Amino acid sequence: MSRIIVVTSGKGGVGKTTTTANLGMALAQRGHKVAVVDADFGLRNLDLLLGLENRIVYTAVEVLAGECRLDQALVRDKRQPNLALLPAAQNRTKDAVTPDQMKRLVAALTKAFHYILIDCPAGIEMGFQNAIASAREAIIVTTPEVAAVRDADRVVGLLEANDVKRMYLIINRLRPAMVEQDMMMSVKDVQDILAIPLLGVVPDDERVIVSTNRGEPLVLAENPSSAATAFSNIVRRLEGEKVPFMDLSAPPDDFFSRIRRFFQGHKP
Amino acid sequence: MTDPSVPTPVTSIPHATESVSVPQVRFRGEGGKLLLLLPPERETATPTAAWTDLWQQLKQRLNAAERFWQANTPVHLIARDRLLDARQLQAIADALTDAQLQLKRVHTTRRQTAVAAATAGFSVEQQPPIVHLNQEESGQALAEPLYIETTVRSGVEIRHPGTVIVLGDVNPGSSIVADGDVLVWGALRGVAQAGAAGNSRCLILALRMEPTQIRIADFVARAPQTPPDQYWPEVAYVTGDGIRIAKASDFSREALLE
Repeated sequence: MSRIIVVTSGKGGVGKTTTTANLGMALAQRGHKVAVVDADFGLRNLDLLLGLENRIVYTAVEVLAGECRLDQALVRDKRQPNLALLPAAQNRTKDAVTPDQMKRLVAALTKAFHYILIDCPAGIEMGFQNAIASAREAIIVTTPEVAAVRDADRVVGLLEANDVKRMYLIINRLRPAMVEQDMMMSVKDVQDILAIPLLGVVPDDERVIVSTNRGEPLVLAENPSSAATAFSNIVRRLEGEKVPFMDLSAPPDDFFSRIRRFFQGHKP
Repeated sequence: MTDPSVPTPVTSIPHATESVSVPQVRFRGEGGKLLLLLPPERETATPTAAWTDLWQQLKQRLNAAERFWQANTPVHLIARDRLLDARQLQAIADALTDAQLQLKRVHTTRRQTAVAAATAGFSVEQQPPIVHLNQEESGQALAEPLYIETTVRSGVEIRHPGTVIVLGDVNPGSSIVADGDVLVWGALRGVAQAGAAGNSRCLILALRMEPTQIRIADFVARAPQTPPDQYWPEVAYVTGDGIRIAKASDFSREALLE
């Protein structure tokens, strides 16, 4: 049976779309048939991150209106034939679609794909309701910031109330050096509040910005960055593999910080 | 009492009874069956918003207490003057079925709801609108304690005309408003209000007291600016100088009588 997973966060700008693009690509690389669905009607971005903008002919709205078939709207990835994108309409708003319509769309996708990743818009209004309507599992993306964690907590509550019981946490854009200096929430701080299983921690990485702008998901790079490795590990954990968490402690950059750490003792 | 930390007092708040008078979805056991009490309709909310609210409350309560009910306990839905259509009634029945409860009967004062319920195949009892089911609750005695086993997450507000017991954490961004005491077997990080109807002898207890704000009757306090090095189970109570917090092991009821 195919897995239908919504990628959501509550707060905007924490990396939902980046996560969707990279997880989708990494799953496809592992030989699964993957459909990524952009549920952010009116503010679509997923096509940009995958570098597929110029191949979009039809969108989900036209499929729902019966103006084209579903397979006409699906955009095959140019590099990875296992990956397909169902784009959202850019000229509509979130109210153009209803949860029931989303359910029908996703149900149609399950016939041809093993994994369906739904990129949820920020917020908890109609767009969120649409995105989670058909999901059986959820990936909660958050950054180690109080506001992002607060919103993620709200979203977890809403998902529980909507019978999405299997949830996983991804902590994005962690800066180990700042955590060590007690200037950023640690993985444990975030987990204390959210109390859902951790799928992975993605370190803050400048190459994410480059990859986003180029439309080339990180996991495609020849020599993988630490963020790309984190995404690959997340995908393996998503498939039930036991993968140890990366050691994200900051590299001991100079002699003095090494001495300092020695005297502070080993922090968990 | 050896170590009462002093929470920052805040100027007094407008009387808080109003928040409690907006009732929420509630379950109550009665002679082998369970009553599902819906709050009466409010004029302010649009029908869709009211239903979404109601639905979320119902799901939260079901998720938070499912282990306390025996399978196949019959449920009577006390819908009061709520307008429910057949689809909504079916949704409620399905949610109850998922929790291994059975919707047996619908009590309503609305004709449309009665018709919808009958069409959907439930037994219906239509009462004349004058028989106000709220009246039985308007007495002075507190409602039986509400026991919930869940993480109370941001955006959730639990109001109850009695004592509230939470087995789990109360996260920042959530709030608990009780006419009686508030007991949190976990970390209290959100807003907690005890004695919301004005009883300043009510208490707030938590295994780990790091609230955004605590309120007892008309008193309000914030947690101390600097968090303590170590957390103990603590009790918040009202003294002559406002709200105080003491280690649970040092706290005794006598302290209130000083």
